[in-house]
Amino acid sequence: MAKRILITDDALFMRVTLKNILTQNGYEVVGEAQNGAESVAMYKQLKPDLVTMDITMPEMDGIAALKEIKSIDPEATVVMCTAMGQKNMVVEAIQAGAKDFIVKPFQPDRVVEAVGKLLAA
Amino acid sequence: MKVEYIAPFAEAAVGVFEALIGMTPERGQLKVSPSMNTMQQINVVCGLTGQLEGIVVYGMSMITADKIASKMLGQPVITFDALAASAIAELGNMVSGHSSARLASLGYECDITPPTIIRGLNVSISTTDIPAIQIPLELPDLGVFELSVSLRQRVSLAAA
Ligand SMILES: [Mg+2]
Repeated sequence: MAKRILITDDALFMRVTLKNILTQNGYEVVGEAQNGAESVAMYKQLKPDLVTMDITMPEMDGIAALKEIKSIDPEATVVMCTAMGQKNMVVEAIQAGAKDFIVKPFQPDRVVEAVGKLLAA
Repeated sequence: MKVEYIAPFAEAAVGVFEALIGMTPERGQLKVSPSMNTMQQINVVCGLTGQLEGIVVYGMSMITADKIASKMLGQPVITFDALAASAIAELGNMVSGHSSARLASLGYECDITPPTIIRGLNVSISTTDIPAIQIPLELPDLGVFELSVSLRQRVSLAAA
């Protein structure tokens, strides 16, 4: 069965881009959240195998959403996917439990590699 | 507003265009205005908060926005719809994100707000009395992507 992924990004363009990359590589995109709060709610409901998480979003940012998801499910697999590449941000996300950190703009291969590695087991 | 604040944005924009659409823009002449205003049709506005605060605006013509969005989407943009607008807004977000990483390495930790698109000619965005510095980036065949940066050091820090 295809692994189930929840995409989180406030930009329609990014959701469409990520969905195309993931579905073309055999993954099922089970949800598309437009902000952190939606992502947390959809995580509880959908229990996806992996979450892609933008950081800069209205309502609730991706770092706050990551922390909430990890408190609901410490085993959650969350990959940050953001334009913000500063060291502090990467360190904070990894310490909060993010499994990988992809900086936008990315090549499709970078996403496929990161997701493939995390969902291989 | 210090001139040194704009270099990270110009460098970030060049890097983002190279990675995103494989094009290297050419930097034009720097210009200073007493306040933030834009003569462009499509403007992406991002806020900065943290050790530097203010706004940055990425302006371009409708034709240039259509052409850039077409490259980002890998298909021609016929009308500037929600998807095309979102691509252009995200382009602004990427430039702001990479700029904040560059500013962090210069010692200014900043966060960015989600981008907003403002359409219309001769828009004046007077949230502050901080002067704006503009720099046009010329993209071959696509047109001009204009950076306008209006930032100041957070008052408590400047006084410290
Ligand atoms: Mg975003």
